Amino acid sequence: MEFDTQLLYAIDEALLGIMILVIMFGMGASLTVDDFKAVARRSRGVLIGFMSQFGAMPLVALGLAIVLDLDPAFAIALILVGCLPGGTTSNMFTYFSRGSVALSISMTTASTIMALFMMPILLSLYTSGFTQQLSDAIFAADGGTEFVIPTKNIVVSLVLVLIPVAGGMVLRRFSPGWAKTAEDTAGFMGIIVILFLLGTLFLRHGDILIRTPWQLYASAIGLGLAGFFFGFWASRLFGMQPIFQRAISLETGIQNGPVSFAIILLSFADSPVRDQMLWLAILYSAFIVMTSSFITLYYRKKGRFDWEVYRNTVVHNRLFGESYVTHYPEGFLPPRIAHDPSQGTSPSQKR
Amino acid sequence: MDSRIIASNLADLYKKAADKYETLPAFATRRTSLEWQPVTFRELYERGRKLSAGLIELGVEAREQVGLLSDNRYEWMLADYGIQLSGAVNTPRGADVTDDELIYIVNHARIRVAFVENDALQKKIVRLRPELPELQEIILMSPKSEPLEGVRALEEVMAIGALQLEKGDKRVDERMEGIRPDDLFTLIYTSGTTGKPKGVMLTHSNMMSQMSVIPIELACTDRVLSILPIWHIFERVFEVYTISCGACNYYTSIRTLGEDLQNVEPTFMGSAPRLWESLHQRILDNVRSAHPVRRALFHIAYFLGHYYQESIFYITENDLQLKPQSRIKRAIFKIGHLIRLFIMVPWYGFFNAAVLESVRKSAGGSIKATVSGGGALPIEIDKFFNYIGIPVLEGYGMTETCPVIAVRTEDKLVNGTVGPLVPDTEIRIVDLETEEVLYPNSKNPYEGRGMRGEIWVRGPQVMKGYYREPEITKTVLREGGWLRTGDLGMMTFNDSLKILGRSKSTIVLSNGENLEPEPIEMQLRQSRYIEQCMVVGQDQKFVGALIVPKLETFVEEGINADSLKDLVDHPKAHKMIRDEIRTMMARTGGFKRFEQVREFRLLSKTFKVGDEVTNLFKLKRHVIEKKYEQTIKEMFSAKEVKV
Repeated sequence: MEFDTQLLYAIDEALLGIMILVIMFGMGASLTVDDFKAVARRSRGVLIGFMSQFGAMPLVALGLAIVLDLDPAFAIALILVGCLPGGTTSNMFTYFSRGSVALSISMTTASTIMALFMMPILLSLYTSGFTQQLSDAIFAADGGTEFVIPTKNIVVSLVLVLIPVAGGMVLRRFSPGWAKTAEDTAGFMGIIVILFLLGTLFLRHGDILIRTPWQLYASAIGLGLAGFFFGFWASRLFGMQPIFQRAISLETGIQNGPVSFAIILLSFADSPVRDQMLWLAILYSAFIVMTSSFITLYYRKKGRFDWEVYRNTVVHNRLFGESYVTHYPEGFLPPRIAHDPSQGTSPSQKR
Repeated sequence: MDSRIIASNLADLYKKAADKYETLPAFATRRTSLEWQPVTFRELYERGRKLSAGLIELGVEAREQVGLLSDNRYEWMLADYGIQLSGAVNTPRGADVTDDELIYIVNHARIRVAFVENDALQKKIVRLRPELPELQEIILMSPKSEPLEGVRALEEVMAIGALQLEKGDKRVDERMEGIRPDDLFTLIYTSGTTGKPKGVMLTHSNMMSQMSVIPIELACTDRVLSILPIWHIFERVFEVYTISCGACNYYTSIRTLGEDLQNVEPTFMGSAPRLWESLHQRILDNVRSAHPVRRALFHIAYFLGHYYQESIFYITENDLQLKPQSRIKRAIFKIGHLIRLFIMVPWYGFFNAAVLESVRKSAGGSIKATVSGGGALPIEIDKFFNYIGIPVLEGYGMTETCPVIAVRTEDKLVNGTVGPLVPDTEIRIVDLETEEVLYPNSKNPYEGRGMRGEIWVRGPQVMKGYYREPEITKTVLREGGWLRTGDLGMMTFNDSLKILGRSKSTIVLSNGENLEPEPIEMQLRQSRYIEQCMVVGQDQKFVGALIVPKLETFVEEGINADSLKDLVDHPKAHKMIRDEIRTMMARTGGFKRFEQVREFRLLSKTFKVGDEVTNLFKLKRHVIEKKYEQTIKEMFSAKEVKV
C-alpha cells in the first residue's frame, strides 16, 4: 500500500515531536540514579529480559514480516519496532498486573542504554534483505538512489531522545513533586496524542483503515502478543518466579513507541518510505495499549494469590525483622512458590 | 479460597486455629513504626492454656463471669483465651470505665476474678474494693507495672497454671469438653435507655453463627488493621473471624494510623464511620496541598470514577431503589448507562491507573474491602470511597445481635443502605404504633417494601437476654424469638435494608460513642434561660441541641424581644445561651467530653402537647426531628468542611 498524499502534516509532526519530548521527560522523571545501580542487583532478571527483548523480539518481528509477506518498508518498520527498548508504560502495566515493578524499571533503564549499541547492530543484521528489495524497487521506479539504513542517524536520534530523559532525572533529583506530575502528564499525553493522530488520520485519509491490508494489522498486533508470550515462557524456562515472569512478559511485549517515532522522523527524514514506516509504528502504539490492558487484567486475576503471599511475606520481613520466616499451613502454597513464598526477595524465606 | 474454621464453640475455634495455622502470626503489637512483635497461633493457644489452668486453680468456675477491664492489646486476647478455655464468661469493659460503671458491673455480674490493664486501673479497682464485696482476685495485665498488694501479675497466674499442667491437670480439657452451644461466651454491658448499663448475654452459638455468615473472604495471607475497641462486639467478632481465617491482626491507634497504613499494608479493615471521615479528610487535604496539575487530574479522575461507578451500580441493580421500578424504564436507562460506560472505559481506565491508584495507596494500597459499622456512614463519604475504588461494606447490627444483622457484599453494594440480610436471618418492619407487620406482608404492595417502621430481627445471632433483667428483656425480646431493635428502617426494592433512624432515643455519634439524651436535656432544662430542649446528634461528630428559650428571662436580662422569633437570631441571646450551656453542663461534672453540647439552634415556637410532646411531656423525637430537619442539618453542616 502506498500513500498518495503526505501521511502527517507539519502540525502533526510538531505534535508528535512534543509528545516524544514530554514522554521521554516523564520517563526520566520516574527514574533515579539508584534505579541504574539496581540493575546490577537484579542481573539475572535483567539478563533474561535482555535476551527476550533484544534476542527474541527482533527475530519475532523478522519472522512475522516473512510469514505475512509484508512490503519491505513495513517489514523494516516492524523490525525497527521489534528492536526498540522498553518504555515506561510497561512499568505501569506491570504494577497493575501484580508483577515486580522494580525489575520492570531495571529492565527499562538497562534496555534504554543498551539500545544505543544493540539497535544499529540488530537493524543492519535483520533488515539487510528488505533494504535490498527496497533499493531494487526504487531503482526500477525512477532510478533513484540506493536505500540504506542510516545507522549513524539512528544513534544520533537515540542520543537525542536520551537528553529529555536526563532532564527528567534532574527534575526528579530536585523536585520529586513536580517529577510525579511530569510522569502523570506524560502518560496522559501519550494516549491523547495517539488518539488524536488516529482521529485526524481517519478524517484526512478516510479510507486509510480500510486500505490497510490485514497483514499489517496482524503484524502490529501480533508483535506485542508474541512478545508477551515469549517473555512469559522464556522466563519460566529459566526458573523465574511468577512476579518476575509477569514483569518480563510485559516488558518484552511493550516497546518504547515514541523512540520509534523519533528515529523515523529524524533518521528517515527524506526517505520515500517514511510514511509507511510511521503508519506501522502508529498502529503498533495504538494496539499495544489495548492488548497490554487485556493481558494485564488477565495476569492480575491469575497472579492474585501468589502476589498476596509475596506481599504478606514482604510485610512480615519488614515488621518482624529480616530473619523472620513465615510458615504457611501444609498445602496452602502452590508448589511453585512453596519453597520460597517471598519469590526470591527475602533470603530468610528460602528453604 | 475460603478457609475459615467452623467450630462448635469459641474455645474449640481457638484450638483448631492453633492446630491449623501453627506458627503463623496471629497478633502483632507495635513497638516502633517498623518493629512489631508477632505472636503465633500456637503460642497464643499454649499460653492461653496455662492461663486457663491458672484461673481454674484460682477458683474460676465454668459459666462464671470474669471481668476484663482493658483496651486493645495482645494480653486482652490472651486473657480471653484463658477465660474461654476455662469455660467461663468474658465480661469486658474499656479502660475508660467510670467508678460508677465499674461498681455496677462488677457487682451486677457477680465478678469474682477481674483482669485490669494497667497501673491506673489497678489503683482504681483497689480503691473501690470496699464496694465490691464479691471480688476476690485482681490480675494485672501490663508487664510494665508492679502489681499492688492483693493484685496478681498475669505471669504469676500463668506460672501457677503451667505447674498444674505439668502435674497432669486435665481440668482445662474437661472444661473445654463441657462447653455447650447455649453457654455464654461474653456478657457485654451497654448503656441503655434506663440509664444503668444492661448486660447483654451472648452465647457461643451466637458467635459461631457469625463465623459462618460473614460475607468477606480472608486467608492466611491477609493483614487486618484493628483500631476499634476490642470490647466493642463489632471489633470482637472481626478479630475472632480473623483468627478463624488464619489472618493476622495488627493493633494500631488513631495516633499512628497514617504510618501503620503504609507499613502494614492492611488488606482488610473494619472501623466506625469516624475513621472513614478522617481518612476522607486526609485524602482531601493531600489533594488540596498538591500541585495544581495533580489537583486537576484528581478532579477529572474523581468525576470519571463517579459516573463510571454510578453506571456500574445501575447496570448491576445496585442503585438505591426506594420506589417501585418500572421494567421498561430500567431497560432503556440500562442501555443508556451501557453506552456511557463504553465511552468512559478508556478514560476511566487511564485515570484509575494513574491517579486513583495513588489515592488508594495513601490508604495502604492493598485494601480489598472495608467494613463500616457501629453507626451510620454519611452518604457522601460512603460514595467517595466507592468512587475512588475502595468498596465500603457498610453493615448494621447491635450488641444484642452479636452484632451483624445485615451487611453489604461485593455483589450487592448499594450505597445508602446496609445491604442484604446475612444468611439465616429474618426481618420484620413493624408499624411503631400498632405493631402491625408491614414487611414481609403479602397484603401490602410489593410485600411491604418501601414502607418504614421499626426493625425486628430473628436469627441465630440474637442474644439470650439481658443478664438478671427479665423485665427489660421481655420488652425487647418478643415471643417467637423476635428482637425489637429500636431502629427505624425499610426494605428497598432491591432487597437491601435502609436504616432511617432510631425509634428509641439513644444517640450514637459517628465515632461510635453512645449517649442518652434525656439526662443532658434534664440538666439543660434546669436553666432559667431554657424552656424546652432536645438533644440531637445521631451519626454526627458532636452533640447539638434544639432549644426553646424562656422569653421572660431574656426580657428580665434587658433584651428587647416581643416574641421567641426575635431571639432566634439575636447575637446577645446566643452568647447568653452558649455560656449558660457551658455552666449547666459543667455543674454536675457527670458528663463525658463527647456528651457536651457543642452547637445549638434557638427555636421560635414552643413544643405543643399532642404534637411535639406527649401529654406526659415526653418528647416525640422523630416528630421533632422531622419538623426541624432543615435546622438540624444546617446546625451540623456549619462545622463541616466542604470539599
